[in-house]
Amino acid sequence: MMSLDAFSALLVSGLVLGSIYAMMASGLSLVWTTLGIFNFAHGVFMALGAYVAWTVSDAAGLNLWLGFAIAMSVAFMAGLGILIERTVVRPFYGQRDMLLITVMTTLAVMMFLEKGIQMLWGPRLKQLRPIVEGKVSLLGITISAQEAFIIVIAPLVLAALWAFLRWTSTGRGIRAVGQNPDAAKLIGINASAMFAVTFALSAVLAGFTGILLGSLRLLTPGLGAEPLIKAFIIVIFGGMGSLAGTIGAAYIIGLVEAFLITTVGFYWAPSALFIILIAVLLVRPEGLFGRRVA
Amino acid sequence: MIRSLSGNRAFVLGAALVIAVLMPFVVQDTYWRHLFIIAFIYAMVASNWDLSLGYAGIFNFGHVAFFGVGVYAAALSTKFLGADPWIAIFLGGVAASLAGALVALPVIRLKGIYVVLVTFAFGQLVLQLVLSQSEITGGTQGIVRIPALEAFGYNFLRDFKFGYYYVALGLLVISTIFLRFVVRSDFGMSLRALRDNEEYAVARGIPTGLQRLKVLVVSAFFTGVAGGFFAIYLRVASPEIFGFPVQSLVLSMVLVGGTGTIYGPIAAAVILTFASEMLGSIEGLDEGRVMLIAVAMIIVLLFFPNGLASIWRRRAQRAALADSADKAVAETRLIENSAGASR
Repeated sequence: MMSLDAFSALLVSGLVLGSIYAMMASGLSLVWTTLGIFNFAHGVFMALGAYVAWTVSDAAGLNLWLGFAIAMSVAFMAGLGILIERTVVRPFYGQRDMLLITVMTTLAVMMFLEKGIQMLWGPRLKQLRPIVEGKVSLLGITISAQEAFIIVIAPLVLAALWAFLRWTSTGRGIRAVGQNPDAAKLIGINASAMFAVTFALSAVLAGFTGILLGSLRLLTPGLGAEPLIKAFIIVIFGGMGSLAGTIGAAYIIGLVEAFLITTVGFYWAPSALFIILIAVLLVRPEGLFGRRVA
Repeated sequence: MIRSLSGNRAFVLGAALVIAVLMPFVVQDTYWRHLFIIAFIYAMVASNWDLSLGYAGIFNFGHVAFFGVGVYAAALSTKFLGADPWIAIFLGGVAASLAGALVALPVIRLKGIYVVLVTFAFGQLVLQLVLSQSEITGGTQGIVRIPALEAFGYNFLRDFKFGYYYVALGLLVISTIFLRFVVRSDFGMSLRALRDNEEYAVARGIPTGLQRLKVLVVSAFFTGVAGGFFAIYLRVASPEIFGFPVQSLVLSMVLVGGTGTIYGPIAAAVILTFASEMLGSIEGLDEGRVMLIAVAMIIVLLFFPNGLASIWRRRAQRAALADSADKAVAETRLIENSAGASR
């Protein structure tokens, strides 16, 4: 039997991972349900958000400026999201092979941005200062305040996203376009504006996740690559198309991964996770929480 | 008209083959021969990828992982089993086919984006396996000092890669003939039927799962052979082959060449290998060429969503249309004339 301390350590690290994954995957899932495309550049958005925040906060040199840095990064990501939707996604709406073509164009964007980051910021390793400093005691173990902050902020961000989609007219417009674009257009919803807003929102979510992760890990252009693969697994696991399913799956995968790391080790954890994924898909091809579609 | 078109194509293909065979006599430089060898290897990978991606319509993004499996299978079999390099190349193909069967397990049950995600995740998984089992695979260092090819006492390292050039060309030709055979067989037609109208194809008794399994195994084989040859030729196996740069380079070859064609990706592989190398040799562009390729990929997709091969095909179609229009005009005249005569 595992001791209580070990168990709570596992729980906390699982929650940190789950929070990161949930914010990452919800943006991916949002774009998928609304635009019907899968954005492979989502991971590099994460890295870019972190780098922009680093530049702003490092230039100012003060921890106080970190809030400003986050705001700048968020604004930048929103603009970039809209730009990318216009240039590499929009031209392909309604095409027969749209899904495949946009996979390739977003992959190209990923290549472009990843190399761009490397050229612009250079190979020197960087790290963001934590948003909150110090240590926190939680469930009998001590973790950094930043990790505690992530555990707390993620549900708040996700709740805000949910409230936005549920109660604001823009949010409802986004959902309407996702469910039935033609009917949405007929009742006067500006579908193309909704697509742009969705893409911007998802880019902002990715950038913000990058800022949170950027103080736990070192910044590299490939910062988002590994979380993106996890986000794929999560979105499949959760059953595509449901935000709640995605978020639930993110926390499950985070906890499972933390468990696997302590049992089979850091190196075997991704393989074990993949095998579990395939096993689940063989039994439930529609995902864990997905509904069977005829 | 159709006969003359295919005659035209046969001429182009024959000319390309003759040029390729004579090339080493003109190009004596090791570096240029090396570029051709690399281009031929990529051509095999890209054209076989198109079998599952373009012909069968499976959104397979793990194809470069099959290539990597071939590379490592060949490298490991020479290192641990003491296999002859020729056998090792073949074993690369076998191992890649096994990997194809493994990927097929989830893929045959899934559709659309799920296939993209699972195959993509598979590639990342193989990479992580290679990195984590460093005592076997050498981790990030890779496997070095793989024995070179030898036949009847002739070491292929001699004569400025003369021998390697013909091995690469020979493998490409065999792979291409094989692909043509597959595409034109009943099996190939059933794949296209599944791609274009799955419900109808299934109603006509084509087993979706089985055909998908077969196409993944078949398309992986020569990809793995290419990987095996890549390892034996370069004499190293490094985990970089699983990375995004290789993946996107080969993908852009399939795309630029045009999905659903055999020769498109082959031509694009040769062109892009050289283009990428030229860009790399320009001062200051060394780093930025990946970005340029990315931009080029987007531009090609924006203007020619079916690849550059579609330009050729569109011209042929237009010619065929014009031809049938001519015929129609001629026929109407004939009718008019005969009507005039009877009057």
